[in-house]
Amino acid sequence: MSEKLLSVEGLRTYFYTYAGVVKAVDGVTLDVRKGETLGLVGESGSGKSVTAQSIIRVVPTPGKTVEGTIEFEGRNLLKLTESEMQHIRGKEIAYIPQDPTTTLDPVYSVGDQLTEVITRHQPVSKQFARSKAVELLRSVGIADPEIRVNQYPHELSGGTKQRIAIARALSCEPTLILADEPTTALDVTIQAQILELLKELKQKFNVAMVLITHDMGIVADTCDRVTVLYAGQVCETGTTEQVFENPKHPYTEALLSSVPSLALRKDKLSVIPGTVPNLIHPPSGCRFHPRCSYARQICVDKDPELESIGDGRLVHCHRWRELELTSAVAS
Amino acid sequence: MSRVETPTSQRGGVGQWALAWRRFKKNRAAIAGLIIVGFFAFLAAFDRLIAPYPPNCVPTPFSPFCTGQYAPLHAPSFAHPFGTDSNSYDVYSQVIYGCRAAFYIGFGATAVAMIVSVLIGLAAGYFGGTTDNLLMRLTEVFLVLPFFLILLLFLKVLYYFSNTGAGGLEIEILIIGLFSWPGNARILRSEVLRVRGLEFIGASRQIGASASRILFRHILPNVLHVLIVLTTLQIAASVLIEAGVSFLGFGDQSVATWGLEFYYGFNYISDAWWVEAFPGIFLTLLVMGFNLLGNGLRDALDPRLRE
Repeated sequence: MSEKLLSVEGLRTYFYTYAGVVKAVDGVTLDVRKGETLGLVGESGSGKSVTAQSIIRVVPTPGKTVEGTIEFEGRNLLKLTESEMQHIRGKEIAYIPQDPTTTLDPVYSVGDQLTEVITRHQPVSKQFARSKAVELLRSVGIADPEIRVNQYPHELSGGTKQRIAIARALSCEPTLILADEPTTALDVTIQAQILELLKELKQKFNVAMVLITHDMGIVADTCDRVTVLYAGQVCETGTTEQVFENPKHPYTEALLSSVPSLALRKDKLSVIPGTVPNLIHPPSGCRFHPRCSYARQICVDKDPELESIGDGRLVHCHRWRELELTSAVAS
Repeated sequence: MSRVETPTSQRGGVGQWALAWRRFKKNRAAIAGLIIVGFFAFLAAFDRLIAPYPPNCVPTPFSPFCTGQYAPLHAPSFAHPFGTDSNSYDVYSQVIYGCRAAFYIGFGATAVAMIVSVLIGLAAGYFGGTTDNLLMRLTEVFLVLPFFLILLLFLKVLYYFSNTGAGGLEIEILIIGLFSWPGNARILRSEVLRVRGLEFIGASRQIGASASRILFRHILPNVLHVLIVLTTLQIAASVLIEAGVSFLGFGDQSVATWGLEFYYGFNYISDAWWVEAFPGIFLTLLVMGFNLLGNGLRDALDPRLRE
């Protein structure tokens, strides 16, 4: 196993709203190794995006990271000053946002937005940055980059804008990319192209990536390892094979069985009963217990530990030893 | 079809401003506003060449064009196309000089008001929280102060120091400017709040941009369309306020303004309509021009009104 690039431990990010404290991220532990892709999976509202925002410290107000350590290449990001963070954002850790249609500033041309990042972090001339922008556009598969570089966001399609967002993320050759559901706002054919592009670029630039998604299909296709989140907590972590073949947490099993599959034409898609809990007053004990078909009294009373069970796997369940969970790989 | 039109997307680089100009050109009322404002700007720039007599001057037999008709309240004639007022001033010349005064007060007061409202609106909208709260409460204080009375008070005091009220125009610029920002600041703040929530602002934080860069390079250009519209409307409003102040006799009598002509002609309005009518027409036209221009700019620049 190669060395750790990013390791997040016991991260807690709370939102102080008028209705109460929303514990959006409540004790997330994960790590990313050099050059690998980590899938961060969970339902809407499970804290995936907030975890990523916490890593580069851009959590929107009234959110605040209250606890935890975020170690990135030997530095604790939570201890750095804001101006030190500004040199890490976009340069060492890049972020690909969810909706490409709104992430580009409408008043600047594509070239201006790319050169902004390049000249912000590298001591290069405007002309050099401009030519680098054209090169980047070409490397993310945009046709006629010399024309596109002078165009404005409203003249481009969603897929092209997402390619530009990816080009912007790559512009300073970061060591880590946080991709926050980079394909959800795109239609299916474009999704596949963007995922292919991300895989290809990851190979080419040898960059590590945290891929946030709720689509287990995307995880199976692109990720080396997976961390499953539920209600702001980690359910389990493992390599993609381990998690798909041998899930240890009931929530992972439920997630896997709710993936629609063309091969298996079941009459009914299995769903997880209930909804993501209220994070102001989360359920007692294990947060998944109200929706878990394996729940016992202990699950209601006591929050399980995040246990390391060997092979680099982490599980957050009282009953992982006894349970025989269904694998996603058809038997 | 021998010639194929190159589609816009192939030419590359049609910015928002180019698109706005295209929409603006189609709007006849807006073009009319631009022509009116342009015409007045021309008069203001070349007033000394256009006006036959110097400002605030009783024509003497030695003046050029003088035909000896320099009696007070003389009806419009060849020598005095707009007649003369109670001081025997040539109303036509006075009205032409009034253009420059109108632009001076309009742009001056608006510049002061807009600088303050941009700073307050940006800071309140972007930083939010306590900063926002304090700045908005300050805005409310300025909104409830009876600013016209304060302005008249300052001008009255000025008359103790100079018997023509010279310097009054500058005082008006300062006071109109310092009291006209609250409404504009509020509108700008709400625009900043809207833009701040958009994802590209988050994206610029994610690429490591500093707060000042986000404020001035990303938020300000995106609220500029609102600022431009507010500016044109504020110019018109400032010109009107000045006319009101001068009409009441508190104005700067050393400078020829339209409001001052109203003041001179008011007591003789039943005998000499021309002293009131011509400055009135000019004032109405200029204010209408700025309003048409402002409305046209709003239609051209507001993203929500797009076809």
